[in-house]
Amino acid sequence: MSVKRPPFYVKAQEILLRTVLGSKGYDLPFGSDADRGYLLLLVGLMSFLAVLACAGTLSLHAMTQRWSSGLENKITIEIKAEDRDGTMLSPETIRLETEKITEMLQKNPAVKSFEALQEKEIKKLVSPWLGEDFSLEDIPLPGLIAVELNVSSPEALEKLTGSIKKLSPTARVDTHREWLQDILRFTGTLQWIALFVALIVALTTVTAISSGVKSRMAVHKDQVEILHLIGASDKYIARQFQWHAIIIALLGSILGTAAGLGMATFILLLSGQSGTSLIPQISLDSTSMLIFIFLPVIASIISGVTARFTVLRTLSLMP
Amino acid sequence: MIKFDNVGFRYETGPEILSDISFELAAGSYHFLTGPSGAGKTSLMSLMYLGHRPTRGSLHMFEHNVGFLPRERLFEIRQKIGIVFQDFRLMNHLTAFDNVALPLRILKRPEKEIRNNVTELLDWVGLGESKDRLPPTLSGGQQQRIAIARAIIARPRLLLADEPTGNLDDTIGFRLMGLFDQLNKMGTTIVIATHNTHIMELFGHPRLILAHGRLTQETRQGPITQKIRNVS
Repeated sequence: MSVKRPPFYVKAQEILLRTVLGSKGYDLPFGSDADRGYLLLLVGLMSFLAVLACAGTLSLHAMTQRWSSGLENKITIEIKAEDRDGTMLSPETIRLETEKITEMLQKNPAVKSFEALQEKEIKKLVSPWLGEDFSLEDIPLPGLIAVELNVSSPEALEKLTGSIKKLSPTARVDTHREWLQDILRFTGTLQWIALFVALIVALTTVTAISSGVKSRMAVHKDQVEILHLIGASDKYIARQFQWHAIIIALLGSILGTAAGLGMATFILLLSGQSGTSLIPQISLDSTSMLIFIFLPVIASIISGVTARFTVLRTLSLMP
Repeated sequence: MIKFDNVGFRYETGPEILSDISFELAAGSYHFLTGPSGAGKTSLMSLMYLGHRPTRGSLHMFEHNVGFLPRERLFEIRQKIGIVFQDFRLMNHLTAFDNVALPLRILKRPEKEIRNNVTELLDWVGLGESKDRLPPTLSGGQQQRIAIARAIIARPRLLLADEPTGNLDDTIGFRLMGLFDQLNKMGTTIVIATHNTHIMELFGHPRLILAHGRLTQETRQGPITQKIRNVS
C-alpha cells in the first residue's frame, strides 16, 4: 500500500515552523488542520487580486505621469478657419495668419520651440473622419502650431496669448489643461477604486484569518487549555498561532503574487499589442518590484498580527 | 505557600460546589486530599492550579493574592505548579518525549538540557523504550506515567496530583509514591487527591477531607488518625 505524500506546502510550512519555533516546530496539532489548504488558497487568491489592483494603480499612475509630463509647458495655437461673423476663411488667409504668428513666436523669448503643422500633417490628423481624398480647398482647416514654452507660468501665457490675439483675433490658445484634467480626474477615480479593492482584499484577509484562528482555537481547545494550565503564557500560545498564520500567508501570498504578476504581465502585453497609444506599457521598475516583493511580507504581517490579537482576545476570556 | 480563606466556588450560576474553605499549606508539606465522589476534590484542585478563580473569599499562592494578581501574570504561578490530571490530558499528537518536554520548552530551557532530563526521567518511569510513541498507542498506566513525568520534569514547587496511581499496578504505584516522597524531601509541596486508603494509610501524610463542599483537616501519623481541626 502506498503512503500518501503530504502536499508540498505542508512540508514547506513544517520546515519554516521548525526554523522559527525551534527543533520541534509547534506544540499544537496544526499539522492535522483540514482548513490549512483552504487558508493557503484564500490568501493566494487575495494576493492575486491585490497584485492586479496594485498593477492597475501603478499602470494608471505611469499613464497620468506620462500624460502630465508630456504636456507640460506645451500649448497648441489654433488659427480658426472662420472669422468672428462665421464667414469661412480661405486657406491662403489662414496660412498668412499662421506665418505672422510663427514670426512673432520666433522672436518671443518665452518660446523654447514651435512647429507649424503642415498641410500634410493636418490632413493626416483629420483623415480618420474625412477620409484621404479631400482637398483643403473644399474644406478649410484651421492652422495649428505646436509650441513648447520655456516656462508655463500664467503670466507668460497671458502675455503670449495677448500677442497672438493682436495678430489673429480669432486664434485660440489651447493649454490642454481642460481635457487633461478630465482624464486625470478619471484616472484618479480609477486609482481610488484600485486602492479600495486593495483595502477590501486586506479586510477580507483579516476577517478570514481571524475566523480561521477562532475555529482552530475551538478545534484545539483542549490542547490550548493544557498549555495554559501547565504554565504557558498567553504570548507563548499566541506565538504558535501567529507563526502558523504567518507561514501559511507567506506561502499562499508568494504563490498568489507570482500568479498575479503573470496575469498582470499578460494583460499589459495584450494591451501593448492592441496598438492603443493611450495606454502606455507598464515596465516593472525597481519601485514596482519592491512593492510586489513586499506584498507577501505585508500579507504575512497582516495575518500574523490578526492571528496574535485574535488568540490573545480569546485567551483573555480564560481564567 | 497556599492559603485559602473562606473560599467559595460555583460554576457560573450553579449551586456552590465549595463553601467556606479555609486552610493553609506550608511550603514543603505533603497532604492527601480525599473524600467521597462528587465532594468537590477536582474543583478544589482546579482552584489550586488556577484552572478557576474563587467566586468568593481569598486565595493566596506563593505569597500572592490570586484575586488581585492580573490575569497576564498568573502563568508565573502556574509555572511553579506541576499537575497530574485524573484524565492525564496528554497531547495526543506529541510523542511521549515531547509531552514530557513541554513544561521545559515553555520555560525555554536549552534543547540539550531538555533531551538529557527527559530521557533520564522517561527511563526512570520505565518508558525509555516508548519515548517516540504517541499516547493513544500506550496503555492507561503508561499514559499516567507520562502525565506524572510531565508534572515533575520542571521540578515544581507545588505538585498537585489527581488520582495519580489510579491506573497503575501496585509496584509502579508505590514506586511513584516513593518518587513523590523524594520530591517532597527536596522541598516540593505535594497535594495528592486519592481514594486509595491503602496508600494513605501506608504513607501517613495529613489528610484534607472534603465532604459536601466543606473541608476537614486531619493529621495522621502512620495508621493513627487524629482529628485536629474542623474548619467547616
